[in-house]
Amino acid sequence: MTQRITIDPITRLEGHGKIEIFLDKEGGVANTYFQIPELRGFERFCVGRPVEEMPLLTNRICGVCPEAHHMAAAKAADMVYHVDPPRTAKLLRELLYMAFYVTDHATHFYALGGPDFVMGPDAPVAERNILGVIHKVGLEIAGKVIQARKAGHTVVEMIGGRKVHPCTSIPGGLTKGITEEQRKEIEDMGHWAVEFGQFSLKLFNDIVLGNKAYVDLILGDIYTHHTYYMGMVDENNKINFYDGKVRVVDPDGKEFVKYAPKDYAEHIAEHVEPWTYLKFPYLKKVGWKGFADGKDSGVYCATPLSRVNAADGMATPRAQEEYERFFTTLGGKPVHQRLATHWARLVELLYAAERWVELATDPEITSPNFHTIPTETPTEGVGIVEAPRGTLTHHYTTDERGVLTKVNLIVGTTNNYAPISMSINKAARGLIQKGTVVTEPTLNMIEMAFRAYDPCFGCATHSLPGKMPLEVIIRDADGNTVDVLKQFC
Amino acid sequence: MMKDEQTTNIMTATIVARPSSLLVIGLGNPILGDDGVGWTVAERVKQQVEINPRYQICYRPVDSKVIHRHSFVEVDCVSLGGLSLMERMLGYRRVVIVDSMETGQSPAGSVRVFKLDELANPSAGHSASAHDTSLITALRTAEAMGMPIPKSVEIVAIEAKNVYDFSEELSPVVAEAVPLAVQAVMDLLKEEP
Repeated sequence: MTQRITIDPITRLEGHGKIEIFLDKEGGVANTYFQIPELRGFERFCVGRPVEEMPLLTNRICGVCPEAHHMAAAKAADMVYHVDPPRTAKLLRELLYMAFYVTDHATHFYALGGPDFVMGPDAPVAERNILGVIHKVGLEIAGKVIQARKAGHTVVEMIGGRKVHPCTSIPGGLTKGITEEQRKEIEDMGHWAVEFGQFSLKLFNDIVLGNKAYVDLILGDIYTHHTYYMGMVDENNKINFYDGKVRVVDPDGKEFVKYAPKDYAEHIAEHVEPWTYLKFPYLKKVGWKGFADGKDSGVYCATPLSRVNAADGMATPRAQEEYERFFTTLGGKPVHQRLATHWARLVELLYAAERWVELATDPEITSPNFHTIPTETPTEGVGIVEAPRGTLTHHYTTDERGVLTKVNLIVGTTNNYAPISMSINKAARGLIQKGTVVTEPTLNMIEMAFRAYDPCFGCATHSLPGKMPLEVIIRDADGNTVDVLKQFC
Repeated sequence: MMKDEQTTNIMTATIVARPSSLLVIGLGNPILGDDGVGWTVAERVKQQVEINPRYQICYRPVDSKVIHRHSFVEVDCVSLGGLSLMERMLGYRRVVIVDSMETGQSPAGSVRVFKLDELANPSAGHSASAHDTSLITALRTAEAMGMPIPKSVEIVAIEAKNVYDFSEELSPVVAEAVPLAVQAVMDLLKEEP
């Protein structure tokens, strides 16, 4: 008898996803499917609008990382107008972006990824959340997370004009600069963020690395895949979230390609599967060989883990120390264990905080020269930034008035659709065998496989969930329900 | 009557510490079809609140000859969830959220009014939110830290038809429900002392 287990929905608040696990006659895993509904019609919605609206419009695509879309759209619009923003504008945009990164990475670690480790993957579901973390580790933690978020929001508002959904980036730079008084306040918050980054890494060190069971879990085979890794780097091959070239290394850690944003289409193609509307990007020059590991498979990964693998180091001193400790502890580059993504995320958080201070103390940051007026006829442009969840590409084509005629986006999580699907499959096969009784902790450990990627379903919808957040349905080959497991029975 | 109301409001001004003690939030994505209905309703509520003296505090600073007017009902439209939404609500005594909902159990355009506590708390379960936590857990976190969370959170929800196609237009059946939802919010506001 073939059985089907459905984990549905993963969430409604940030978009709706579904995992289906098909069991074979012996009770082992026959196959798994990870489905993400695609929001439709964004290109059609954009075509006919002025390109300068895109930094505002695209930050409504997704409620999770509007700042990333704002930046990628602004950079693409710069290129459409063939205008190079003044150095101050670039510094300010990157500063806003670093503050956002600290906020976003902190939220993921403490609210989502962390509870699995702090509370344990098999802890009761009602405790495996940020409240459980507070009860176990102390109120001080929550205070720091809230403080980090407040600092990040404040910087985004100062530079971006409003919280969460910035509105100041336009082709050629920004609509406003910052005063010396604001700069000082931003610098002070940056110093605090550096301490917070160090605190978070120490916490990870004490709670996760200090626990042999967790280290074994991280290093275990069920959460390991050998794929290509992608990340943006500066001229020294150090990680850069705002600007640079996209570097891809092979599963041995050797550089496979390094390309300028405008050339992305030469390197990335998309594969279609009949069971999902979302496409699977892969490396064109390697080719699609199915959901497979290894050098011959064009599957690549674009996450914090892939960024540290794809780069030669971090551009700030404390983050560089942590970067070295990361690879020394985990046995050298590249690291293939997907759960190590949580650690890589914290290394990135520290880098973002250090870079925040660097930018806030740059003598040109308060210069009034924050905009270059575009004078060229607009044509076509590509903007790439590293979103927290992966490389984010915006590609626009306009007519001679700057009115959009074509729009193409490859968003962070889409890059990782194939590796996430592979991770779920491997974890399910590793955890469910003949005779396994599927329990809540088992399902949580399967979910941990994709949670490491911090997947975003590209959806800013906030429709209220009107049903149970999780249902596990086991069906026989005829579609009859054999058993139903609910979270709040 | 008008004079009495204004007198009352002037007295209220002396005891209200914050400029607004009541917040109406339109929640959703304004470019994602019916998901934007919360914004549409909130914008109409704002228009009604601004012209209704019941919701205005009138006061004259001692060193001024000008009478100032301020609404103690604040209305905002946001695309937030979890911790971010909780942070937006801090400091208010009472919050009314207007949002779309997808229960699949009632016809599109149905309007429901209920308290936040009546919702199942998804973040106590599996990864209920891919990036954050639920609003209920976020509020409990803030409460545990002694932060000023609202004493009451009520929700006016409109059953949506389309939240997967980008559009600035509401489905006709959802658009028809907007006046009903506006009235539901105004009725909640009338319960104010």
